[in-house]
Amino acid sequence: MATVTFDGASRYYAGNDKPAVDQLDLEVEDGEFLVLVGPSGCGKSTTLRMLAGLEGVDEGAIRIGEREVTNLPPKDRDIAMVFQNYALYPHMTVADNIGFHLKIKKMPKAERAERIQEAAKLLDLEPYLERKPAKLSGGQRQRVAMGRAIVRRPQVFCMDEPLSNLDAKLRVQTRTQIASLQRRLGVTTIYVTHDQVEAMTMGDRVAVLKDGVLQQCDTPIGLFGKPKNLFVAGFIGSPAMNLIPAKVNGEGALIGGQTIPLTPAQRSALTGTNVVVGVRPEGWTLKSDGEGIPAMVEVVEELGSDQFLYCSTSAELASVDTEPADEAEAPHTVTVRAPGMSAFQRGEKVALVPQPGAVHLFDAESGDRLPD
Amino acid sequence: MAREKKRWGLTIVGTVVALVFLFPYLIMLVGAFKPRREILQVPPAYLPDNWEPGNFLTMWDTPETPLPFNLLSTVVISLGGTALALLAALPAAYYTARHRFRLRLPFLLLVLVTQMLQPTVLASGLFREFVELGINDTWLAMILVNAAFNLSFAVWIMHSFFASVPNEIEEAAWLDGCSKGQSLRRIMLPLVWPGIVTAVIFTFIACWNEFAASLILLPTDVNQPLTVALTRFIGQYESAWQYVFAVSIIGILPVVALFALIEKHLVSGLTAGGVK
Ligand SMILES: Nc1ncnc2c1ncn2[C@@H]1O[C@H](COP(=O)(O)OP(=O)(O)O)[C@@H](O)[C@H]1O
Ligand SMILES: [Mg+2]
Repeated sequence: MATVTFDGASRYYAGNDKPAVDQLDLEVEDGEFLVLVGPSGCGKSTTLRMLAGLEGVDEGAIRIGEREVTNLPPKDRDIAMVFQNYALYPHMTVADNIGFHLKIKKMPKAERAERIQEAAKLLDLEPYLERKPAKLSGGQRQRVAMGRAIVRRPQVFCMDEPLSNLDAKLRVQTRTQIASLQRRLGVTTIYVTHDQVEAMTMGDRVAVLKDGVLQQCDTPIGLFGKPKNLFVAGFIGSPAMNLIPAKVNGEGALIGGQTIPLTPAQRSALTGTNVVVGVRPEGWTLKSDGEGIPAMVEVVEELGSDQFLYCSTSAELASVDTEPADEAEAPHTVTVRAPGMSAFQRGEKVALVPQPGAVHLFDAESGDRLPD
Repeated sequence: MAREKKRWGLTIVGTVVALVFLFPYLIMLVGAFKPRREILQVPPAYLPDNWEPGNFLTMWDTPETPLPFNLLSTVVISLGGTALALLAALPAAYYTARHRFRLRLPFLLLVLVTQMLQPTVLASGLFREFVELGINDTWLAMILVNAAFNLSFAVWIMHSFFASVPNEIEEAAWLDGCSKGQSLRRIMLPLVWPGIVTAVIFTFIACWNEFAASLILLPTDVNQPLTVALTRFIGQYESAWQYVFAVSIIGILPVVALFALIEKHLVSGLTAGGVK
């Protein structure tokens, strides 16, 4: 068991002046399940591979516990990794795949068999121990890859999108299995995914990456409740938060004829005159009388438990003067969550009022969250 | 009914085609057992009146060529050439499959281009080179030549096998505690084995059959391989055809045996990427 520390770690790929991972500072606690999330190409895999020793560290350092591993070869890091394509050894049986590390470490045969059996039992792989990987289903292969990792009892688990090759239903099942298995074993885990739902449901903490730069690392509740900047606000949550550019005047920020008051602290932190007002779909109060932002229901998405309304507003929703070219991008649509089975109809006129506690304010220029 | 007829037709056509191809071999086989005077007999007979298995014994000791040395020559040159080609091709194939370096494609194409140069074209140049090096008319010279001419095929076929093994499999082995050498031996080698076998056998057969360069580079009869020795039996005034046939049989036996052995491998080897 161990902590994992990234200390200003950077990685430059040949022929690229921009680092794939830029000065990453991250501390993973002992036994913690940390999820790295971000859009494709943001450097998640590179981060994980730097930790595993499969990719060099050009600047900074990486430590596991007190041990500096920056320049250690992969075999000496005591890390087990689950790859996206599982990377099982095709010429070995399931049992040999799972036991390969123990064999390399020259563990006596009887003890090894016991450990393999134990892992196989945990993962329901006992009937398949003598099969070759080619004769397994996708889900079974995924479990063999997990088995190969847990049988080792390593200091750290690294998992790079281990569920992305499974179908949707199996993915949700396996998600909970992996999360509970990790809690039971208590091994420090770094898990990479591009799926924010996976990140929010599995992680003790979630680190959001963009273009190789760490945006925010917090608990799922922290990320959802207090996104540190516009990127995190838009990335976390589904459907995404409504982000509305607004001009600030003496009273506050103006959106669709409504005024959102700013605290003195927010005013002084503001660099320009514009803010972005963020309201999640569940942060609106729907009113049928005229008080609020007038809108019309365009699409009703019924999920049974919830209902999502896609409402068009008048063009003046954003109070910022937009260039004509940007006209198309200025938001006219607001997503609103209503209780499931509500009676909203397409074409219905509604009035939207942001709930006081549900408003996020961001500096339009820097994209940073204004103090609460 | 119609389908039955069609199958019969196919069998007959197949048999005829096979016979056409096998006929020279049959002549060779039968000829090897004929006494000398029966070979030149007019009109020729298909089967000998007197079977003469003694050809296979007397051929080892003739004034034309020291056949035991020739066989040894072929074996040494083939084994040496194959071993050397493999030794050079294996690391080259692994490296080009695993590393993207700047001159990777030019390198691979250059390797391919060497395949287009026939030994005959280069023989006189090689002859001078070996004279300079002082290894003219030696087995070593022919081992080098054979290895060089078979390198490109060996590199390419093994390259495609190495390339078909995902990087992550090797990386998984490193994380499982393997050194680079261990992962090569325990993971990569078993996975690319069919490719190696294919490359080795092709190279060996090519070395075994090589003729043109040996003819030019090996003037001394005890150094010459079977392919060259064979020509010694064909003289200006008379030819010992029974020995030509008998030696040919000895010469093609290993080739036939190897092909039979790898027939199955061959298909997967040539359609490479057997590992998923
Ligand atoms: N081997 C490589 N050589 C050059 N660039 C690479 C290499 N691997 C990844 N990259 C680049 O580095 C960036 C981060 O990649 P990666 O870590 O794989 O992203 P992610 O896993 O978040 O999708 C991408 O822009 C990608 O194109
Ligand atoms: Mg990735």
